[in-house]
Amino acid sequence: MEIPARQSLPAMKQAPSHQGGQKGDPAFRLLVTATGVGVLVVLGAIIAVMVTGGWKAFATFGPGFLVSAVWNPVTQHFGAAAPVFGTVISSALALLVAVPLAFGTAFWLTALAPPAAASVIGMAVQLLAAVPSIIFGMWGFFVVVPVVAHYVQPAARQIFGHVPVLSALVAGAPFGTGLFTAALILAVMITPSITAVMRDVFLSMPAVLRESGYGLGATRWEVMRYVVLPWSRQGVVGGIVLGMGRAMGETMAVTFVIGDSNHIGWSLFAPANTIASLIALEFPESPAGSLKLASLMALGAILMAISFVTLWFSRWLLARGEQAAGR
Amino acid sequence: MSVEVPVKATGMTQPLDSTAASKDTPHPVAMQVKGLNFYYGTSHALHDISLDFPERSVTGMIGPSGCGKSTLLRVLNRMYDLYPGQRATGEVIFDKQNILNSGVDLNVLRSRIGMVFQKPTPFPMSIYDNIAFGIRLHERVSRSEMDGRVEDALRRVALWPEVQDRLSASATALSGGQQQRLCIARTIAVRPEVILLDEPTSALDPVSTARIEELLDELKTEFTIAIVTHNMQQAARCADQVAFFYMGRLIEVDSTARMFTTPREQQTQDYITGRFG
Repeated sequence: MEIPARQSLPAMKQAPSHQGGQKGDPAFRLLVTATGVGVLVVLGAIIAVMVTGGWKAFATFGPGFLVSAVWNPVTQHFGAAAPVFGTVISSALALLVAVPLAFGTAFWLTALAPPAAASVIGMAVQLLAAVPSIIFGMWGFFVVVPVVAHYVQPAARQIFGHVPVLSALVAGAPFGTGLFTAALILAVMITPSITAVMRDVFLSMPAVLRESGYGLGATRWEVMRYVVLPWSRQGVVGGIVLGMGRAMGETMAVTFVIGDSNHIGWSLFAPANTIASLIALEFPESPAGSLKLASLMALGAILMAISFVTLWFSRWLLARGEQAAGR
Repeated sequence: MSVEVPVKATGMTQPLDSTAASKDTPHPVAMQVKGLNFYYGTSHALHDISLDFPERSVTGMIGPSGCGKSTLLRVLNRMYDLYPGQRATGEVIFDKQNILNSGVDLNVLRSRIGMVFQKPTPFPMSIYDNIAFGIRLHERVSRSEMDGRVEDALRRVALWPEVQDRLSASATALSGGQQQRLCIARTIAVRPEVILLDEPTSALDPVSTARIEELLDELKTEFTIAIVTHNMQQAARCADQVAFFYMGRLIEVDSTARMFTTPREQQTQDYITGRFG
């Protein structure tokens, strides 16, 4: 054992490997510090580019840019409200579908499934999470859009068409493209990644804590609800925020199925746009220095701002939850 | 002073001298293990164990690591059931019923046979809620009654004076010894008949250990206790009878006094004198 004796025996200091370590230490330190600082630099640069790029739009339209739903390249009039609305609603709907699904799957995988099934399906979930979004886009376009057009929306209209308020949600021609379809595709995309995160945090809980719950006579659901979930709250919320981030920024899959219409309405089946899909569709047709390009950049800045706000909000929720739990 | 104590297992009552708790009068059996074999998959971990747990007394289970004593404890509340591939054959008779039968309601069983683990396992919630959790699982009680039950459980583990003005604080902020007493309080709050303790003091300092050992002395006036311990002195101090396990077999079981002075088996003698293990 030379390690503890190193200090007291001067001869040991001559060990060549050790000397290399002493030289390498400051260099390594510099390297990791640089990567740490690099994160700040990149973040700052991105924000700077988006804000300066979009400045012309903010300067031209003022605060009205945020509330105007007009997007008219002919009259050179641009507003952010429609794509922001599309982004927020499609992501929120997607989460509404994905979170219960992901939680149920993760619960089943960690508490109920036979081990063989759990390992196969757990693997499948991770594979599904790794499917590129363009695949989901094509699948959505060729499979989900026709199904929504021919079956889902007509059925929804038949059921809710005469119910006040709800009838507005299902109104419109059955194109198949629109907010509902986009949200559905997004939900399918983000469910696996949320499931994978939830499963990992549930599994990382010490077995003895779970057993303590069972030891008091709790059922599997009670252990999940009162022991596992509170213990893994941070990871669960982290997984959901990750999924939400992916949904809000998702471009390819949404662009295929959202219908490209800058319009704010009640109907879930009406074509719409998200910030990401609008940028993807319009960017190639926006000459440098144009007001349209500036408006797209401004939209990018708004998307980042929304992402930051949700991240901050989830942290605030967590902190408040921990205060309530008395941590 | 003689008190009539109902014997839960049989429904009979018998006089019990609570001050003397004379060691010569045999207590009725609360739990009886008969011909128990246990398997982790294909590995045979317990061989033909037969052991009686007398009511309202402490049974100490000793033996070297891997001898099967903790495994036996996990059979007694069917904790092994959580893990596929683990199975038990034989009988464990509790309240005239073989608890190894498949029809047994495990949630009820585990509320009657509580368990305390090696490391303190406070739930990530307040001190109050940790105690109330188990009660809420099985009973519907009013707020004021719940307050009383929580206070009572905390008093019995001598934790009340230390936590009474911070019941809503997180249990995870308590010290290790306090956490373990909280876990014992949480277990007794459910009003079980048997308490299983799996090396409950192995993660604690000597002062906290002493407090828990004192506590066991009080708890055994009301509960049947089975404690697994690596610490021979602890077994000698706390237990009324001691069972020695070696390589998945029950080598010997006897009253604590006889076990530590005149064991019948050479293996027991070797282990308690520190020749191996």
